[in-house]
Amino acid sequence: MRVVNLACSLPPVPCVTPPAAPSRTLQWDTDPSVLQLQADSELGRRTHRLGPSKITQVDFLPREVVSYCKETQTPLAAHQSEDEEEEEEVTEQKAGPENDLQEEEESKDTKEGHPRELTEEEKQQVLHSEEFLIFFDRSIRVMERALAEDSNIFFDYSGRDLEEKEGDLQGGSSLSLNRLFYDEHWSKHRVITCLDWSPQLYHPLLCSLSLSHLSPVSTLLSSYFQYPELLVASYNNNEDAPHEPDGVALVWNMKFKKTTPEYIYHCQSPVVSVGFARFHPNLLVGGTYSGQIVLWDNRSHRRTPVQRTPLSAAAHTHPVYCVNVVGTQNANNLITVSTDGRMCSWNLDMLSQPQESMELVYNKSKPVAVTGMAFPTGDVNNYIVGSEEGTVYTASRHGSKAGICEMFEGHQGPVTGISCHSAVGPVDFSHLFVTSSFDWTVKLWSTKQNKPLYSFEDNADYVYDVMWSPVHPSLFAAVDGMGRLDLWNLNNDTEVPTASVTIEGAPALNRVRWAAGGKEVAVGDSEGRVWIYDVGELAVPHSEDWAHFGHTLMEIRANHGDGEEEGPVELAT
Amino acid sequence: MAEVEETIKRIQSQKGVQGIIIVNAEGIPIKSTLDNSSTVQYAGNVHQLLMKARGMVRDIDPQNDLTFLRVRSKKNEIMIAPDKDYFLIVVQNPTE
Repeated sequence: MRVVNLACSLPPVPCVTPPAAPSRTLQWDTDPSVLQLQADSELGRRTHRLGPSKITQVDFLPREVVSYCKETQTPLAAHQSEDEEEEEEVTEQKAGPENDLQEEEESKDTKEGHPRELTEEEKQQVLHSEEFLIFFDRSIRVMERALAEDSNIFFDYSGRDLEEKEGDLQGGSSLSLNRLFYDEHWSKHRVITCLDWSPQLYHPLLCSLSLSHLSPVSTLLSSYFQYPELLVASYNNNEDAPHEPDGVALVWNMKFKKTTPEYIYHCQSPVVSVGFARFHPNLLVGGTYSGQIVLWDNRSHRRTPVQRTPLSAAAHTHPVYCVNVVGTQNANNLITVSTDGRMCSWNLDMLSQPQESMELVYNKSKPVAVTGMAFPTGDVNNYIVGSEEGTVYTASRHGSKAGICEMFEGHQGPVTGISCHSAVGPVDFSHLFVTSSFDWTVKLWSTKQNKPLYSFEDNADYVYDVMWSPVHPSLFAAVDGMGRLDLWNLNNDTEVPTASVTIEGAPALNRVRWAAGGKEVAVGDSEGRVWIYDVGELAVPHSEDWAHFGHTLMEIRANHGDGEEEGPVELAT
Repeated sequence: MAEVEETIKRIQSQKGVQGIIIVNAEGIPIKSTLDNSSTVQYAGNVHQLLMKARGMVRDIDPQNDLTFLRVRSKKNEIMIAPDKDYFLIVVQNPTE
C-alpha cells in the first residue's frame, strides 16, 4: 500500500503560526517540503504558488490475519516427511543422483520411523513404573474379556452341520450346572469359607456412579451394585504354599466367559467371612481368623486391604464368622460377631475402633460361641445367632433387652448355617428361619416359639449351610459334606428334597448362596471351587405359593402337635 | 513385577493366542512374546494404524477418543487396547 502525500499550497491548519511573529518556528512536521512551503508562505503569503512536491513512499505491511484451525492428531514424522516432499518438489530436479540419495534417506527414515531401541534397563524400568501397572491392569481386563468371547461372526450356517448342543436339560424343575469358577493359582488347595453375591438394590438413587473422567473399564466396575453378576468368594489358607498370603478373596464375574477372577484380594490371615458392603459400592468387608476385619476397595489397585481393624481387646480377638452391613443408606453399621461371643458394631468410615460392642451371654453365664448370624428381613435391631453348642439364640442390639433374649434348643451339634425367610409377598413369613447343623439335620423354626417347627432329616452327613430363596416363599437350598446340593420346596414335599444333585467328585460343600434374582445358586466346596447352578422352573414363584405355604405351615404345626411347648414371647420388633 | 509376567504367560497359554506385545507411546516395543522381527513389524504397523484411527475418531468428533481396535483378517485377529502412554496388542486365531 502506498500513500502519496501531496502537499498543497494552503498551509496545514494545525501548524500555522501567527504570521506576525517574525521568527519562524519549526513545527512538528519535519518534512522538509512542508517546511519549505511554510517558509515560502511566511515571506510571500499572498502569492499562491503551486509547485511540485516531494512524494513520500510509505510501505505498510499487510495486516496479519490470525486464524485458528482445528488441531488434528497427525504425528510429527508424517509432517516432516510431507514437508520434505514439498521441498523436493519445489527444488525440482537438481543433480539427479543427489536427489535420489536424499529421497532414499528420507524414505528410510520414515519407513524405520523409530530407529531408537530401548535398552533392557529402560524396559525394566518401564515395566515397574506405577502408570504402566495401572495401564496393564486395565487393558488386560478388557483384553481377557474380548478373548473369551468367541463369537464367530463369519459363521456360515448353510455349509456346516450344526452340532446339537445338548445341555443338561433334565426337565424344567431341576438343577443344571452353569459355570465353575476356579483359579489355578489362588483357589488351589484352599477351602471356600464364604460366598456373597453383589446385592441388587431397587433404588437407582442409591447407586453411586463414578465420574466420567475415569477410563471406560473402571467406570464400569467401580460400583458393584448395578452388577448382580458379581460374586465374591473367600478362601482359607493354602497349606501347600506357606509363602502365599493366608487369606484370599476373589471377585468372580458371571457375565463374561473369561475364567479368571475379576478382582483378586488377599490378606495376612485366613478370611473366614466376606461380604459386599451394601451401602458402599466399592467396598468388600472380610472377617478373618485372627479377629481382624479388613476392607478392600476396588478403586485402588492394591490387592491388600485398604483398612483394617486393630487387633485389640476392644475389637475382636477370635475368628469373625459373621459380617453383615445393616441399616439404610444414611445410617448403616457393620455388625460383626466373633466366636468368643463378642458383637461389635462399626462405622465403615472409621475402623480404628468399634462404635459399640457387647458380650453375648445367655442368662449371665458364659458367653455364646457364635458360628453364624442372620438378620430377619427389614429388621436392624433383632437378630439370630447360632452357637457351637447347638443352641440358637435371638438377640437385640439396642433397647431394654440388649443382648441375648431367647434360647432355641433343638440341634445336637454345632449350628453351621442360619437363614431368615426373605421372600417378600402377600403373606409375611419373616418370623421363620432355618438352621443347619453337624447333627445331619436342617430345622425350621419360628421366632415365636422356642422349639423347632420341623426337622428335615434327609442328609447322611454334616449339613454345612442352608439358605432361603430370596424370591420363592417355600424354597430353600442346603449343602452337606457328601457333595449334595438339595433344594427343598416345602409346598411340594417336606420329607425329601424336591431337587438334588451331587457335585462332581463329591467334595464337601461348605457354602451355598442364592443369587439376588433367585435363579442361580452358588456352591463353594472344600477344594476351592465355586459351582454355579441354574435352577429352572422350580425357582420361579407363583402368587398362590404364599397362600399354599401358609397351609403347609399349618399342616406342619398340626402334625407336630405333640410335645410342642408354646414359646413364651413374641420378640419386640 | 512378577504379576505382569504371570499374567502375560497365562494369556499366552490361552487357546488361539499367538502373541502379546506391549508398546510404548512412541511405538517402541517394551515386552513381547513373539520374535524380534515380528515384534518390530507389528509394533510399527500397529502404531501407524492406531494414530490414523485415533485421528479419524477425533476428527469426526473432537470430544471422542479411541478405546479399542480389532482387526479381523482371514487368518487371525489383532486386538489393540490403546492408552495414553502405552498400548497392548494381542494376536489370536479366533477359530481355533
